[in-house]
Amino acid sequence: MSDTPVLTPAAQATRKRGLPVGGARRKGDTRTGRGFGFVLPYLPFLVAFGILPMIYAITLAFTTRKGKFIGLKNFTQAGNDFRFGPSFEHVFVYTAVWLAALIVFVVGLALVLHGRAGRASSTFRFLYYIPGALAGAASVLVWLFMLDPGVSPGTFLLHILGSHLFVESIAPGHLPFIFAMIAFWTGAGGWIVVLHGALNTIPHELEEAARIDGAGPVTIALRLKLPMIGKWIAYMVILSFATGTQLFVEPQLVNEASLGMVPDTWSSNQLAYQLAFRYGKFNEAAAVSVDLLLIGLIAAVIIVTRTGLFRRED
Amino acid sequence: MRMQRRMCLAVLATALAVAGCSSSSKSSAGSTNSPAGGASSTPAGPATAPANASAGSGSAPAASSDASGNLTVWVDAARLPDAKAYAAAHPNVHVNIVTFDGDGNGATSLQTKIQLWNKAGSGWPDVIFSEQVNDPVWMAQQPFDFAADMGKALGSSVTSQWPKTSLAQCTVNGTLVCIQDNLAPVVLWVNQKLMTQFGYTVPTTWQDWAALGEKVAKDHPGYIIGTTGESFSHWIYFWSNQCPLEANVKDTNVTINVSDTHCTEMASLLDPLIKNGTVPPLSVFTPDFAKKYGGANDKVLMMPGAAWYAQSVFDSTLKIPAGEITSAPPLQWGTDTPVTTGQVGGGPWIISKHSSNMKAAADFVLWSTTVFNPDPTGADARPGLPGYGPLATSWLAGMATNKYFAADPTPAIKAAANQIWQGWDLVTYPDQPVWSNTVVTGLVAGKSLSSLMPAFGNGLSQAAKAAGYTVASH
Repeated sequence: MSDTPVLTPAAQATRKRGLPVGGARRKGDTRTGRGFGFVLPYLPFLVAFGILPMIYAITLAFTTRKGKFIGLKNFTQAGNDFRFGPSFEHVFVYTAVWLAALIVFVVGLALVLHGRAGRASSTFRFLYYIPGALAGAASVLVWLFMLDPGVSPGTFLLHILGSHLFVESIAPGHLPFIFAMIAFWTGAGGWIVVLHGALNTIPHELEEAARIDGAGPVTIALRLKLPMIGKWIAYMVILSFATGTQLFVEPQLVNEASLGMVPDTWSSNQLAYQLAFRYGKFNEAAAVSVDLLLIGLIAAVIIVTRTGLFRRED
Repeated sequence: MRMQRRMCLAVLATALAVAGCSSSSKSSAGSTNSPAGGASSTPAGPATAPANASAGSGSAPAASSDASGNLTVWVDAARLPDAKAYAAAHPNVHVNIVTFDGDGNGATSLQTKIQLWNKAGSGWPDVIFSEQVNDPVWMAQQPFDFAADMGKALGSSVTSQWPKTSLAQCTVNGTLVCIQDNLAPVVLWVNQKLMTQFGYTVPTTWQDWAALGEKVAKDHPGYIIGTTGESFSHWIYFWSNQCPLEANVKDTNVTINVSDTHCTEMASLLDPLIKNGTVPPLSVFTPDFAKKYGGANDKVLMMPGAAWYAQSVFDSTLKIPAGEITSAPPLQWGTDTPVTTGQVGGGPWIISKHSSNMKAAADFVLWSTTVFNPDPTGADARPGLPGYGPLATSWLAGMATNKYFAADPTPAIKAAANQIWQGWDLVTYPDQPVWSNTVVTGLVAGKSLSSLMPAFGNGLSQAAKAAGYTVASH
């Protein structure tokens, strides 16, 4: 599920707006027109793969199989399913672990790299980025081998952690951490590159001035750079939160590889999939999807309002 | 105000962008069919027959050779040689073969696929092979409504050559909706070489088997007499001992009673053996198992398992040398008579009622179940005992002279085929994952089977209720 971060047009626009850019600015209308030009190529995709499916899901969520409006009944039915609670619980534990790891390590590594000399920094950025080249499913396959003490190059580590068999590696309690590790491994590199780019936009003079005032590298990193890339961190958190709550590929593949030891409704997105395509309850499945959409939206609104992500300078 | 609106739009766009990319990975996962990692084998075992294996000379009915046109068949890896051989033998039929996970281990690949095809209104294959014997039960009902009338497709003169119990399993609401590829009674597989070397006699009752397990743990630690780590282990032990885990199925009623004596006594019998390591909670299809107990280690002393274990498991998967393995009759519970046994697999063929080439579809199933029988004396033999009587006879004859076995394994298999307990009914929901994710995970964590039985019963009840059943617990 971990995607290579792609800056959406909205974010690109934000990036344009959010930073103090030197020089005179034109008046609003011209800017809106130009901005529209940037957004235009993306619009058809947004409509076809974003807005229309969302409207379809919302319609399904409030209606019966025959299209009759039934209010929240699909939501209560899906909520009463015995797998609903556990699947959301799993996903929240996973998302919490993953986001914490992402914020601490990605920001930390980006700051450390930015303080290095050019060549070393670009080499490491490249190294961090490589795992991201493996698409979701492929990275899970790699990890299935990594977690199998019989074939893993890190067998001694698995032994230290008390796992001598593959079935012990994927014990139920380990799963949120394992999935978080897989997601981090494939996704973190891309975010390090993004944050490094963000750090590059900090005017050199500011750093210089701080140094003259007697700030060391640590102080500069924590008190100057960190606050200035706050918006990028917020952007990363919003996107990662939504991807995290929609976890699907990792538990699905581990379910098949473990011959069913990991339930096929481990995550809420899997539950929606099973409800729709195993039980034919498309409307209840849509309700679970709308639940996920709401959670993503609420989280995004909170983060956006708290961090001023889209606040304009003028 | 305007800013506020922009912000909302931007949030929405961001959320949608995420939703968009995650739904794309969702669909890619949805179409991932083969299980990952090394644990790729399924109850039907890996395929070993070469693609162009010639069909044996079974006393088959004359297959209609005038089939032609396009035909799409979905098969598991073990049935791939069969499908390829059909394509080679029938140049007039353009066969499109799709391999998938076989729906084994309680997967739900077929449910999800059929729902998608139904939703799309197209794309259905003509013929499907499933590793789950209970798949036809839901395939024949709403909302899936997929299975065509197999009796009509093959003709009653052909279908009458299957055992009645097999036909009963494939009959849903009075219609024969599938035909079993093979019969899969549970027998006791024995390593005769090791038994002789250790000076043991082959047990005939579960109690003797368990007592021998205690002895093995003391005198020959490391050797095993069975496993509880399969997704279908309860079909081996609990079906054999008449434990009502899916009994009295009528319409949408089912009895699930894990506190029945037949269940608790089996759990108590297994517990000390799981604890002493002679019946580990590990699947024979995992690389860990093969490494620990297979090949040169040769640590499998006995193993209750299905008829198709024959070469699929011992030869192809575990690489146990030739001349060691044979089968013994199913174990008896104390002095209880008649002796009953379980069943694992016996995958069915299903024809789609949406097929536009019914003739070729029927011809394919007919050929696969009544004609295809490559080299029954070698490693290329069909994995399981054919359901079709005349073919079973030639398969058993080949098996009897197969050099892989230490002794003729066929008498035990033949006898077991008639001893399958009939009180175990097939249901629409997969019960095997429930065993895997409630019991096996617990056993791996060191819990006792007896302590896990209530959770297992609870899991089964929840799965049954989710599938629309009313559950009775006694």
